[in-house]
Amino acid sequence: MKILVIEDEKELALDIVSYLGDLNYRCETAHDFATAKEKINLYKYDCILLDLMLPGGDGMSLLEILRAQNKQDGVIIISAKNALEDKIKGLTIGADDYLAKPFHHSELAARIHSVIRRKQFDPSNLLIQKEISIDLLSKVVKVAEHTVTLTKKEYDLLLFFIGNKNRVLSKSALAEHLSGDLADMFDSHDFVYAHVKNLKKKLNEVSYGGYLKTIYGTGYKWEL
Amino acid sequence: MTKLLDKPFKAFTIYALIILLISIPIYFLVVDWIWVSEIDDHNLLTKNRVEDKLSKVQISDEELQLLLNTWNVLEPGSSIKELAKSRSKEDSTYEVTKFDEYQNETDRFRGLKGVIYIKGEPYLYAIEANVEESYETMFAIGLVTAVLYGLLVVGFITLNKSIAKQIWLPFDHTLSQLKSFDLKSSEGIHFEPCEIEEFEELNETVEKLILQNISIYKQQKSFIANASHELQTPIALLKSKLDLLFQNENLNEAQSELIQSIQIPLGRLTRVNKNLLLLAKIESSHFEDREQLDFAKILKNSLHFLGDYIEEKNLEFKQEIQSDQAVTSSRFLMETLVNNLLSNMIRHTASGGKIHVKLLEGRLIFSNSGLGALQKEFLFKRFAISTTETTSSGLGLAIVKEICLVNGWEIHYNFENFHHIFSIEL
Repeated sequence: MKILVIEDEKELALDIVSYLGDLNYRCETAHDFATAKEKINLYKYDCILLDLMLPGGDGMSLLEILRAQNKQDGVIIISAKNALEDKIKGLTIGADDYLAKPFHHSELAARIHSVIRRKQFDPSNLLIQKEISIDLLSKVVKVAEHTVTLTKKEYDLLLFFIGNKNRVLSKSALAEHLSGDLADMFDSHDFVYAHVKNLKKKLNEVSYGGYLKTIYGTGYKWEL
Repeated sequence: MTKLLDKPFKAFTIYALIILLISIPIYFLVVDWIWVSEIDDHNLLTKNRVEDKLSKVQISDEELQLLLNTWNVLEPGSSIKELAKSRSKEDSTYEVTKFDEYQNETDRFRGLKGVIYIKGEPYLYAIEANVEESYETMFAIGLVTAVLYGLLVVGFITLNKSIAKQIWLPFDHTLSQLKSFDLKSSEGIHFEPCEIEEFEELNETVEKLILQNISIYKQQKSFIANASHELQTPIALLKSKLDLLFQNENLNEAQSELIQSIQIPLGRLTRVNKNLLLLAKIESSHFEDREQLDFAKILKNSLHFLGDYIEEKNLEFKQEIQSDQAVTSSRFLMETLVNNLLSNMIRHTASGGKIHVKLLEGRLIFSNSGLGALQKEFLFKRFAISTTETTSSGLGLAIVKEICLVNGWEIHYNFENFHHIFSIEL
């Protein structure tokens, strides 16, 4: 999977590349408008991470160029502006998602996973990982032949884990995934334990591979 | 508080009263003095005329005696009597109070005694004239003074009122303009020119002051916005680095917990920064869009994200949407308002407590159980944190207040029956 990280803050771009690299994505970076434009014109990416404020131009016009060329690369806008109109405009022009800075890398990874999945022309819409299969349309989860009934939040968490396999996910990252940016209004996210515990229990009942590990009581890991 | 014009009015009135009171004895003394000296002159003149006339008549001694007797009987208030030669020739004046049988009252008389010579013989001439009684003079003067004083006061009041109306007109204008002035509107005040120098000067000074304030306010606003904007990148980097650090396989439990505990203040920093930016945006009229919103839907959406926190604290949540009226606001602002108030209530309600959201006709009520009333005056102020809790950004309610302001709503806080009640008049 090829990803282009268009982000003028080099440190942040490097961190993203580092995190996504460990998830087996191949990343390229562009720190300014001209480089980004060149790369977009020359190559095809599975997903493009697009910062809106770039030296040399507005990220939004890169999106316009991309859509004008009828390219189907997935685009996720990552912006510090967190302005509603940017979000609406971006999604209207054809971005697939919008993520406001600051974000957890795990959240970004989950979004990329979701965008790429949607872009793949798989008519069955089936996400398969070892013995676990997830029908993304009907939201039915099966382990081998057993159907597992999950709540919406448990289902969200499962997809989040699969999108971040082998990464350690902090409680606050999980809380933010479930509660959006309202999560930072609270300093206790104990409800995350309950959801993860339930998910684990339900998966254990149908004896899955036991991929979901607890790390020191502070985080979780979907270990493959 | 007294009105500006009433102050000198009172002083003037008292001053006039004092002067008029002093004037009463002065008038009396002057009038009495004139009165007395006129009568003394008159008496002297009469004496001289009588002496002159009598010394010129050619009559015998018997006839003179008869004339004098007749004089003494018929001429009221005067007498001519024979005098021994040795008596003093000096005139003397005197004053006497005696009963006047004709007026049937006690009266004051001014008298003169002097020696006149008729046919070379000395006679004592005495004349007395009625002088106005002093208390009568006093009374008359007092009465006149009182009437004049009355006129003076009535005049003062009338003049005061009519002058006040005209003179203070430009001042009232200025005042009403200042009252309706809103610093946030970022538009200066322009006063109409007026004729009175002091007011014109006042207007100019106030105009200048307001322009200065507006410019400082603008600077401050953009400073806050710029500062929080500048903070975004370091915060994003911090979060990013922490995420990467968390992936390190050599972390021990203590380190892992440490990283987890850094997430909490970092989350708070993020929230404070976001809220500062949001406040700046609301204040600069960034959210002008209005739409009719289904409150139930917005509440449901908010609960989707906050429900876990309600369950975590075992809170009893009740909603009561009686009115199906739409709420008109910017969608984003309405969502923010609901989120802020709800998360506030969740944070501050003790485990097992109650949270109640009501939408009645024209009124939105958020209430939660609590032990004691909060300080009303600080509640909606920025960073006026009333608890020791660290997750609060100190801006949540300030934002709620600002949103209400933008939408023309009024928010009130009350503590009743062990419940904090925030009610918004839509």
